[in-house]
Amino acid sequence: MRPPSSFKQEFFKKWVVGLQYYGTSSRDMNILERKKAIKLSADVAMASARDGKTYWSRYLIAKASKEDDCISKNLVKNILGNEYERLTKPSSSSSSIHQCSSSKWIRSKNIVRRSCNMRRIRKHAQKHVLASSIIAKRMVKKRTQVLKALVPGGESMDEFCLLEETIDYLLSLQAQVDVMHKLVNASGLPS
Amino acid sequence: MNDDSVIRDFVNRSIKLDPGLDNNGWTDFGKYPVSGNGFGGEITGFGVNGVDLVDYSLSRTSSCPTAEVKVVDELVVTEKLGAKVGKESFKKRKAQNPKVVAEELNRDKRMKGDSEEESKVTEVNNSNSSTTSNNNNNNNNKETSGDSVKENSKASGAQKQDYIHVRARRGQATDSHSLAERVRREKISERMKYLQDLVPGCNKITGKAGMLDEIINYVQSLQRQVEFLSMKLAAVNPRLDFNIENLFAKEMFSANTAGFPIGTSSEMANSSAYLPLNSLQQMISSCGLDMGMNSSDISLQRSRSAPVSDAFLDTTCFTQAQPSSSPWETDLQNLYNVEFNQTRPVTFPPQSFTGILEANNLKMEM
Repeated sequence: MRPPSSFKQEFFKKWVVGLQYYGTSSRDMNILERKKAIKLSADVAMASARDGKTYWSRYLIAKASKEDDCISKNLVKNILGNEYERLTKPSSSSSSIHQCSSSKWIRSKNIVRRSCNMRRIRKHAQKHVLASSIIAKRMVKKRTQVLKALVPGGESMDEFCLLEETIDYLLSLQAQVDVMHKLVNASGLPS
Repeated sequence: MNDDSVIRDFVNRSIKLDPGLDNNGWTDFGKYPVSGNGFGGEITGFGVNGVDLVDYSLSRTSSCPTAEVKVVDELVVTEKLGAKVGKESFKKRKAQNPKVVAEELNRDKRMKGDSEEESKVTEVNNSNSSTTSNNNNNNNNKETSGDSVKENSKASGAQKQDYIHVRARRGQATDSHSLAERVRREKISERMKYLQDLVPGCNKITGKAGMLDEIINYVQSLQRQVEFLSMKLAAVNPRLDFNIENLFAKEMFSANTAGFPIGTSSEMANSSAYLPLNSLQQMISSCGLDMGMNSSDISLQRSRSAPVSDAFLDTTCFTQAQPSSSPWETDLQNLYNVEFNQTRPVTFPPQSFTGILEANNLKMEM
C-alpha cells in the first residue's frame, strides 16, 4: 500500500546497511567477489524491502541465506536485521509447503497433459486445421518456461501466479535499477 | 507519473489479492468472477479447495420481461466459503443489466431468510417485474407468471452465499470446468494487459507469444543492468565512502519527496566544486543582505567581504546566485563596484589577490 518512492527509500536504506557491512568486511576481496557481494546485497535488500509478501522475494532471501560462504550469510543477516528470523523461517516452511503441494500439482498436471496429448494426437490425426493453434500454444509454453527460469522461484508456479509475480518483480527491478543508477552517478563516475 | 500510478495500483491489487497466492494459487478457483450474457445455472458449493465440487445445483432461470430484454439469463456461480475465509468478497463486473442484478440481490437475501419470507419476496418479485425466481430452500418449485423454466433445487439454504456472476455467451459451455477455465483465462489476460502497460514498447504487440517475448527481454535487460551496475560499483570503489553516500541519499530522497530545491541537489551531484561555490554563494548572499539592511556602514562591510565580492564582480556570479535581480540590487552592485574601485588600491595589494581570483574564476567556470 505504499507509494513507490518509499519503496525505493526502504530498499536504499537496507542496501546501505548491506553495503556498510560489505565495506567493513571486504578489504581483501577481488573485484568479482566484490561485485557478487554488491549484487547479493542489492538483491536481498530489494527482497526484504518487499517485506516477504511475494513469493519471489521469499525465494531470494531463502536462497541467499542458504549461501555457503559466511560473508554473504552475515550480509543477509545484517540487512534483514531483527526481521531475519521472521523472514527466513516462515519462508522456508511455507516454501516447503508450497513445494510439496506444487509437486503434487505438477504430477497431476503431468497426468492431465498426457491424456490431453493423447486426445490431441487423435484429433490431430483427424484434422489438420488445428495445427496453427497448436504451434501457437507451443510457442507460448516455451516462452512461459523461459520466464519461469527468469523470475526467482518461478519453477513451481502456475501460469497466473507467474504473471502476478512477474509484475511485482518487474516493478521492484525497475526501482532497484533506478536507485543503483543514482548511486553510480553519485559516486562520481562518468556514466 | 504514469509509472507511479501503475505501481500504486498494482500494490493495491496485490494486497487485496488472493489468499490463494500463498497457498496454491488454485484455491481461489471458485472466486473467479466471470460475467457474460446468456443463460446459465447456479452452482453452489464450490469448496474452498475449489476443485472438488461438493455439490452443485444447476438452476436455470429464464426471465422474459415483456418490454425490456429478450432473453437475459444469469449465470451465477455461488461459492460457499469455508469458515476460515471469513471475508465475503462480493465482486461484480460488467453488470450489463442492472435489473437482473437487483433480482439476484433479492434472491440472495431470500436465501438467508426463512421460507415464508422467501415466498413473500418471490411474490413481490413476480408482481413487480414478472420474472421468475427459484427457491432453493425447500423444493417448492413455483410456476409463476410468464414462461419460467425451473429445474433444480437442492441447495443448502441457510448458508452464507458468496456468489460471482458468470455470464456465458450463447453457445458457450456452462459446466463448471469450462466456466472455471474461462475465468482463469480472463484473469490471465487481465494480467497480461497490465504487463503490457508496464513493459515499454509492448503496446503495439498483439499475441501472447510476442508479449511474453517482450517481457522476457525486458526482465533480462533489467537483470543485466543490475549486474552491470554492481560491477561498476565494485570496480571503481574498493570501499565506498558511506558518509557521502548517506548524505547524498538523504538529499536525493528528500528532494524527490519533500520538495527540497532540486537545483541544489543536482548541483551537488554534478559539480565537484560544490563546496567552494556554496560557501561563496552564502557569503555573497549574506553580504548583499547586510548591505541591503544597513547601507550606512558600507565601509565596514566592505573590509570584510572585499575579496569575495571582487570574485563575483568579475565573474558576474552575483546575478546567478541571486536570480531575483531587483533594480535596487543592481544599484547596490554599481555602488559597491564604485566604492570598491575607489578603495581597492588603498586597502588591498592587488597582486596578492590575483592568484586567488583566478582560482575562483576557474572553479566557478567549472
